[in-house]
Amino acid sequence: MAIINPKTIYTIAKKEFMDNIRSKWIILISIIFIILTIVSAYVAGGTSDEVFGGMEATVVSLMSIYTLIIPLIAILLGFSTIAGEAETGSLSVVLSYPVKRIEVLIGKFLGLGSVLAVTPMIGFGISGIVIAAVIGAEEGLAFLVFIALAIVLGLIYLSLIIFISALCRTRVRAIAGGVALFFWAMIYGIIIMAIYVGTGGDLTKLMTGQATYPDWLFGSIIFSPGDLNQMAVMRAFDLNQAMGINLEAPDWMSMPFLIVVQMLWIIIPLFLAYYFFKKRDI
Amino acid sequence: MITKTIMCPKCKNQVTIEGKPGEKKNITCEKCNTKGVFTFPSDKPIKKADVGPAAIEVNGLTKIYKDLKAVDNLSFNVRKGEIFGLLGPNGAGKSTTIKAILSLIRTNSANIKINGHDIKTDGVEARRSVGYLPERVSFYNNLNPLQTMHFYCELWGVDKSIAKPLIREVGLEDAIKRKVGNFSKGMVQLLGVAQVMIGKPPVYILDEPMGGLDARWVKTIREKIKYLNEQGATILFSSHILSEVENLCDRVAIINKGKLIAEDTVPNLNKYLQIKPRLEISILGLNGKVPEEIRKMKGVESVNAEGDILYVTCESSIRIEVIAKLKDLGYNIKDIITIEPSLEDAFIKLIDKEEGGN
Repeated sequence: MAIINPKTIYTIAKKEFMDNIRSKWIILISIIFIILTIVSAYVAGGTSDEVFGGMEATVVSLMSIYTLIIPLIAILLGFSTIAGEAETGSLSVVLSYPVKRIEVLIGKFLGLGSVLAVTPMIGFGISGIVIAAVIGAEEGLAFLVFIALAIVLGLIYLSLIIFISALCRTRVRAIAGGVALFFWAMIYGIIIMAIYVGTGGDLTKLMTGQATYPDWLFGSIIFSPGDLNQMAVMRAFDLNQAMGINLEAPDWMSMPFLIVVQMLWIIIPLFLAYYFFKKRDI
Repeated sequence: MITKTIMCPKCKNQVTIEGKPGEKKNITCEKCNTKGVFTFPSDKPIKKADVGPAAIEVNGLTKIYKDLKAVDNLSFNVRKGEIFGLLGPNGAGKSTTIKAILSLIRTNSANIKINGHDIKTDGVEARRSVGYLPERVSFYNNLNPLQTMHFYCELWGVDKSIAKPLIREVGLEDAIKRKVGNFSKGMVQLLGVAQVMIGKPPVYILDEPMGGLDARWVKTIREKIKYLNEQGATILFSSHILSEVENLCDRVAIINKGKLIAEDTVPNLNKYLQIKPRLEISILGLNGKVPEEIRKMKGVESVNAEGDILYVTCESSIRIEVIAKLKDLGYNIKDIITIEPSLEDAFIKLIDKEEGGN
């Protein structure tokens, strides 16, 4: 009973990859993403003498693009994977085969995850190669870490959206859930800032770099996967400032810590997704 | 001994032969010497044998959705080798029952076995013996039929080489390179039929396989069901359109509001319900007037007239008498059509009974 068939997982993953890599929306957004990364790598060059900027300047500008677009791709890939397929009837065909739901769920995660990995690899890969060719590749390793972190962010959002899709009865509700998830970082950020100001913090000083973040504010980002991921990128490149804001994180917020918390953000929603998927009426 | 008269395909000469049920007999036409073989139908077909475990056993199935009892303590068996029709109006609980059999939904109580495998303790094996076509089937928009079928072959664990012949078998070979997302409803349904045959399972469960399809597709799917059954498969299919089921099913179960109303063969259901045939007699110059003499006849259940057509519902045995009486009365009969009792009538009557009884 408890045996999981890896071949089923592989088959499901392959199908998800083949189906979604051909999706018009995914192709369109990926192309936009790739163009934006190359353009921003070029624009970041305006701050230095070269046409293409250095790694650090590029990374900061790329960060703002990918923290927006990677979650968007993840949400588009995953919102209908259970709620939508249950509604159309394709999921009932699959589940009538000699397969287990756990295999289907893992297969979906891996298959959609691979689609998700392709976009940053191409987009960042191209700009990375161009930058390395123009100004050298001193920070090549950090850039690879950067690509890996972009994929991790995608997997976090994918795991979350699969959970939402398993939880929601209808496709429409799953879309609503996806929208809420997309704006979560923003919603959460506003709440935290409200608490900061409400407890006597000065937003102006903070924004102009005159004040540093209190520790609890750094701690609060463990509930915001996007910020968590950005923090990890800044650790990887030893950046302490972004857009004029002081972001010197406390020591305990080390790279291993950030990685572990992000892994939890992938694993916990997947477990919850399985719990709801297993007891779901298809 | 069975006596059978056969027409020679060449010279149309009638040849009479005798033989035992199941016997193969060589025939030679006396006139033109054309040779042939005739197999006498066996009196009890082997595939209909009622031996061993049932193909599908449903015991005490109950499913409650929030406050709605969709299926209420339902029990029935589908025997090996038969075509079994699950009938009922929309919302009767047919799809819920089917989904429960496939463990697609959780039940409040049920003991279900497919080919002897308990769906709760032996789910994967149980599902390995079933091919399922859902009521609304759907595939992956960006894959073509071949990629779709390859996926299901891999999922079932059979060689991919069977994908192409199956696509050809359902007549989709011209669309083999097109994305399924651009398919019509009928084409998707046909791909669903191709998909269902992948594992060559002993049991097929088809939920409204002909629902909403035009006549051409309906014919194709009916033929496929017959073909699969001739190959030895057991088939359970649901429908709310009785004409679809009538000439296809060995037995039917009729359910309404989640409860079993009847489970029997089609002729037995008709006999049990005593549904009488109806005559449609077209009479020149009738003008909607009902001849009272006919109404008074013994064995006549109802008579009514509409324009030049007289409708008489009566015992089969007095049909001739009714016609003779009309002739005696001087009516100018143009045409007679006998409508045999249909499952539709049985269905309406059963549901009326059920609802009237409550």
